[in-house]
Amino acid sequence: MTVRITVDDLEIEVREGRMLLQALDDAGLLAHEIEIPHFCWHPKLSIDGSCRLCQVEVEGESKLQIACNTKVVDGMVVRTDSERVRNARAGVMELLLVNHPLDCPICDQAGECKLQDFAFDHGRRACRSHEPRRTLAKNVAIGPEIVFDQERCILCRRCVRFCNEVTGTGELGVFGRGDASVVDTFPGVPLDNAYSMNVADICPVGALTTRDFRFKVRVWDLDEVDGICTGCARGCNIRLGVAKGAVQRAVPRRNDAVNGTWMCDPGRSSCRAVGAPDRLTEPRLRGRDGRLAPADIATAIEAAAARIRRLVDAKGAGVLAGIASAHATNEDLFAFWKFLDSIGAGTRGAPVVRGASDGILIEPEKAANARGAREIGFDVTGAIAERIRSGAVDAAIVLGHDILDAQFLGGTEALATLDTLVVLDLHQSELHHVADVLIPTRHAAEKDGTLTNSMGRVQRVRRALEPPGQAWSEGHVISLLGAALGLAGFDGGWDAASVSAELARSNPRFAGIELAKVGSGGLDLADVAVAAATASGEA
Amino acid sequence: MRNAPFVTNYLSEHLADDAYATLDGYQRADGYAAARKAVRELSPDEVIEQIELSGLTGRGGAGFSTGRKWSFMPRDERPALLVCNADESEPGSFKDRLLLERAPHKILEGILIAAWATRAQKTFVYVRGEYAAAAAAVERAVAEAYEGGLLGDDIMGSGFRHEIVVVRGAGAYICGEETGLLESLEGKKGQPRKKPPYPAERGAFGLPTTVNNVETFAHVPHIIANGVAWFRSFGTEQSPGTTLFGVSGQVLRPGLFELPLGTRLDEIVFEHAGGVPEGRKVKGVIPGGVSMPILPAGQLDVRMANEFLHERHTRLGTGGVIVMDDTTCMVRVASVISYFFRDESCGQCTQCREGTGFINKLVDRIERGAGEERDIGILLDVAGSMEGQTICAFSDAAAWPIQALLRHFRSDFEAHLGTETCPFPASFES
Repeated sequence: MTVRITVDDLEIEVREGRMLLQALDDAGLLAHEIEIPHFCWHPKLSIDGSCRLCQVEVEGESKLQIACNTKVVDGMVVRTDSERVRNARAGVMELLLVNHPLDCPICDQAGECKLQDFAFDHGRRACRSHEPRRTLAKNVAIGPEIVFDQERCILCRRCVRFCNEVTGTGELGVFGRGDASVVDTFPGVPLDNAYSMNVADICPVGALTTRDFRFKVRVWDLDEVDGICTGCARGCNIRLGVAKGAVQRAVPRRNDAVNGTWMCDPGRSSCRAVGAPDRLTEPRLRGRDGRLAPADIATAIEAAAARIRRLVDAKGAGVLAGIASAHATNEDLFAFWKFLDSIGAGTRGAPVVRGASDGILIEPEKAANARGAREIGFDVTGAIAERIRSGAVDAAIVLGHDILDAQFLGGTEALATLDTLVVLDLHQSELHHVADVLIPTRHAAEKDGTLTNSMGRVQRVRRALEPPGQAWSEGHVISLLGAALGLAGFDGGWDAASVSAELARSNPRFAGIELAKVGSGGLDLADVAVAAATASGEA
Repeated sequence: MRNAPFVTNYLSEHLADDAYATLDGYQRADGYAAARKAVRELSPDEVIEQIELSGLTGRGGAGFSTGRKWSFMPRDERPALLVCNADESEPGSFKDRLLLERAPHKILEGILIAAWATRAQKTFVYVRGEYAAAAAAVERAVAEAYEGGLLGDDIMGSGFRHEIVVVRGAGAYICGEETGLLESLEGKKGQPRKKPPYPAERGAFGLPTTVNNVETFAHVPHIIANGVAWFRSFGTEQSPGTTLFGVSGQVLRPGLFELPLGTRLDEIVFEHAGGVPEGRKVKGVIPGGVSMPILPAGQLDVRMANEFLHERHTRLGTGGVIVMDDTTCMVRVASVISYFFRDESCGQCTQCREGTGFINKLVDRIERGAGEERDIGILLDVAGSMEGQTICAFSDAAAWPIQALLRHFRSDFEAHLGTETCPFPASFES
């Protein structure tokens, strides 16, 4: 059921029973067509109704109403910009600022501070208070990731509700009352949970900042690029803040179908790995002296191709194993699958490291494209490790180093016995000791492609960063190798879009999903989409 | 009840009698006859109808129709609850304390009738933390009532069941606000809830709940026993019945006076409370507890009922009349009142949390002679920002007295500007 309401001069249809702010948010109008300033309201938290900034005039009501807690009814007429509303906002802003330290020049929230923005947009020009301001705790590490400035806090209580409602950990509370109220942790209980850094995202002011990012760079100097977190199979939508050629922070990007407005702390750390110092920066080739030496890509590919050709000619393609990585994109993996088909290698797998999950966002599969690897055909259990241990394999092309995880191969002993080991990887690892050819690859933030999350949502990654040295996407390396081996369908070039189109044509699960069509919110795999459509049809 | 129509002190008639606080003493004065009549002879709807027709209004300060409040209770599967708000904390008010200590069974009888009418299974009597004697008196009365078959299963052989639990607050003014009370009752920090939902829909523990003031309950047995017409013979058309006016401040005979609603304020101050000391004049009177706007000496001819007080931009509140004579510094009054509200604000809503403190600081600045003309304008602006824009009425209650003091006694504020010597040196000295 929907109702029609009028907000200023805009007539809109919204869902019945929703609160006004929620309804406008549903319709995607909030902060776009319609601006109703607010501090305490957050789309993913319970309604607090305390900041009082979202007051609007509702026709027929004598008092101003808070938009966050006013139900829409058919025919409702709302004014968001009348003189009364503007006066009320100015009053709220003045009072929010009478105790604020106004230390904006040294505050790391500057540039993305709602208090600052709203003070300019809705406040009075000048401060009228001569009264002493509250002096409270500053620069307190209230947990391993979060630094708290109590003076700047405007008591919107978003952080308190987050810890109560989302993580259920309840580390934060409001203590005292009246203008002696403060947000704080309970004695001896730090703010320490796997999502603690979200409180810095939702804090509208500079009260909660992350130890990791504070004072690293001013936010207006960041290039913000959309991305997908690669820490686990959830595929949380994120925004990378890039400056000085490196990722300075990762913050969640809203996607109600995937991560809402949150992401986990380990995910943020994993995003920082893009610029880790142990990144590979050039191809390497093991020489006659047994040492890895730099090589150009053509030499490295030719050497790999020569070793594979020699082995396959001598023993057949059965001795070649393809060990994929669920960190690679759908396109990379599809190219690899096609390569293995074309050469005739039957031993294939994409071992996915498993770990803890929490029912909030963190998923057991610790790779962003585990579902994609499965959908393309790779076995993700690590069974391939048994094949290698059994001695049935003489050569392996390895994407990433997930295979080294203790559950699979443990150390490098079994790989050391192989005749040929071609490794495509982002970082240095134990594989270096045994690789014959080593080729650096691109991180998900450094290439175009798609990843399929655990729920079957295909999401887009974009080339937002340049790799620290030379690097190629896995699919590109495979294409070069395929061309060097003279395999049909490989010309040594790489275009993720056309590979995506080929995947969409050849794998019915990916039907209709082409890279160019995958918007910022992602697209569901064909069967997932059908299931969703059926479910909503039944409902 | 033995109340004859000419008796105007039906609430307070027996308060001097120690035995009236006991079940025996109360029953000797026809106590619980009205409850018996209600549960045996009247349907719940008939009781609600009687109370609504009687015109009884809530005596806790808001003055809402009690019968209508009861009629809001939904008839669904959920058990209903009743709360007796005994968190009397309004400075200037002390009427509920006397009723709780001296006539606890009268309140319990009112509760029983209300419980019957609203189909409530349980009542929480939420007693102000500082009211130790009152809480003890109610606890004793509840124990006696259980003993006497007036509470528990099968009350008075009617099959009606009801439980009463006495709960002590911890001394926060805001827990007298009905939803702040409910939060506190549930063991949480006393902070008013945003409305809707109203308590009748989701009150204590998520259940339909009616909250009434102590004195409101005390009127109920008299109405049921004596009828609507009898009750309406007291007071005014819109505000029937009597109320307990608590008079304090600079009067010769401070105390509690039960008088019909609509009694003139000057009659209360001069005739009943004896007026101000010789040689002094009345300067201003707060009609109903500190949150109600003050009236200057020239406006004491007002009748004490909301329909008349409204014309003077004030309200009856709790009927706590505070009298100030001409030695009083109204800036000092503003300072004391604003300090109270600053200290008691729960701190949820921006305007109240920050506004109460800002007003208190501004008033104190003026009081110590450091104020400027513009500070008076800021005071009025801030009070305006605090009015009608918050979760509960506390913010209004903090703003109104300041607005009224500036409306009627602006010259007191102006006289403080630029002088460190208070123009009223004797203020608060006697």
